[in-house]
Amino acid sequence: MAVSALRVIAGGRAGEKDPGPLRVRSDAGLLAELYEKHAAAVYGRCRYLLRDEEGAKDALQEVFAKALRALPEFRQAASPTTWILRIATHHCLNELRARRAAWRDQLAELAKDRRNEVEPPERRALVRALLSAAPAEAQEVAVLYFVDELTQAEIAQATGRSLPTVRKRLRDFLAAARAALAEALPGIALPEGDEP
Amino acid sequence: MMVDLGGPGTACSAMRVRRLAAGELQGADRERTQQHVDGCARCQAVLRELAGERARLARDVPFDAFAAKVAEKLAHAQRPPRFARWAPIAAAAALLLAVGSTLTLRQSDDGGMRSKGGAAVALFQRSGAEVRAVQGVVGKGPIMVHLESGGHAYAAVVLVEPQESSLLYAGPSRAQLPEAFEWTGTARRATLLTVFADKPLDGETLRRDGAKGAPKGAEVVQVPLERVQ
Repeated sequence: MAVSALRVIAGGRAGEKDPGPLRVRSDAGLLAELYEKHAAAVYGRCRYLLRDEEGAKDALQEVFAKALRALPEFRQAASPTTWILRIATHHCLNELRARRAAWRDQLAELAKDRRNEVEPPERRALVRALLSAAPAEAQEVAVLYFVDELTQAEIAQATGRSLPTVRKRLRDFLAAARAALAEALPGIALPEGDEP
Repeated sequence: MMVDLGGPGTACSAMRVRRLAAGELQGADRERTQQHVDGCARCQAVLRELAGERARLARDVPFDAFAAKVAEKLAHAQRPPRFARWAPIAAAAALLLAVGSTLTLRQSDDGGMRSKGGAAVALFQRSGAEVRAVQGVVGKGPIMVHLESGGHAYAAVVLVEPQESSLLYAGPSRAQLPEAFEWTGTARRATLLTVFADKPLDGETLRRDGAKGAPKGAEVVQVPLERVQ
């Protein structure tokens, strides 16, 4: 193989010791394309998970900075949409863990928002509230399954984990969710069974 | 009251609709999905949600403001000392894969480069027209870092020098880092600290605290490096 291959890098960082802020300006066309294709979905995901306008804006920009830093990986992803939404989900779940989001408070808030006892809580708001009750390693799998609606096999492929691991993490999420509901929203239950 | 948390449908998912809208589906797959979406109330609801997300983005974060903030974050992340000692210069994934499989085995004999749990780190350096495995002594030229994760999903790599540490990578485990590096500092000795874990690693904590910052259950591989004078 030609040694010159060592100089080739997708994203154009070869030979640059300090690309600095100019790198984005030179890649303005690329950034515009990424914004057009993915920014709305990423912003939606950040707003959904963080429930904080300013935090979501900051997270959106952070996710794209991460994507640009990992541009070769991003471009090679089988599904760039899945890839960047996973980055966004990771980022927001980390933020929530850092904030120590309390699931009891979120479920209490959901209970308050219900207009009456026969109206079920909004499905995705309930998933979000239950995330912080679940183990950290089950949270991303729960978002991929209940929000992005990927199958277990698709989650295994997207995350590089085995199917049994994905199943186990979904079961962990459901177990934690049931326990949290029993404690904070006893009128609400999830269908029986280990599998969703 | 029973509440269904949802999940994938028989033939549709929110992600599939997103991928269709982003132009990621091709050929028959695209046609089949489009046909399904056209007649599926659930998928139509996702399309309306996507339109709402677009309107919200245009209102809250117009492109110019977005681009400026992203540039600011990139500039901040690339400011020294983070990359002051090892500067990213080039990736050579194909070449690394070609030579890595044979050279890694030899390096695995070195106890300092493989952890008890099976994770390992191998370094390669280009020197003139050759690529060689680095056995602790580093010369001039790009260094490529090859990781064997031992089944761990995440990895972080930090160059620890006597006076300063630089975070080279933190993210999903991968066979090789996306960039090669050149050791540009002045210290003669350093340690390449690599941490493998099952959950995302906080690179900044590892940069600050070294191996002590590794979370419980993580595997740590430390490769001592010495620069050729």
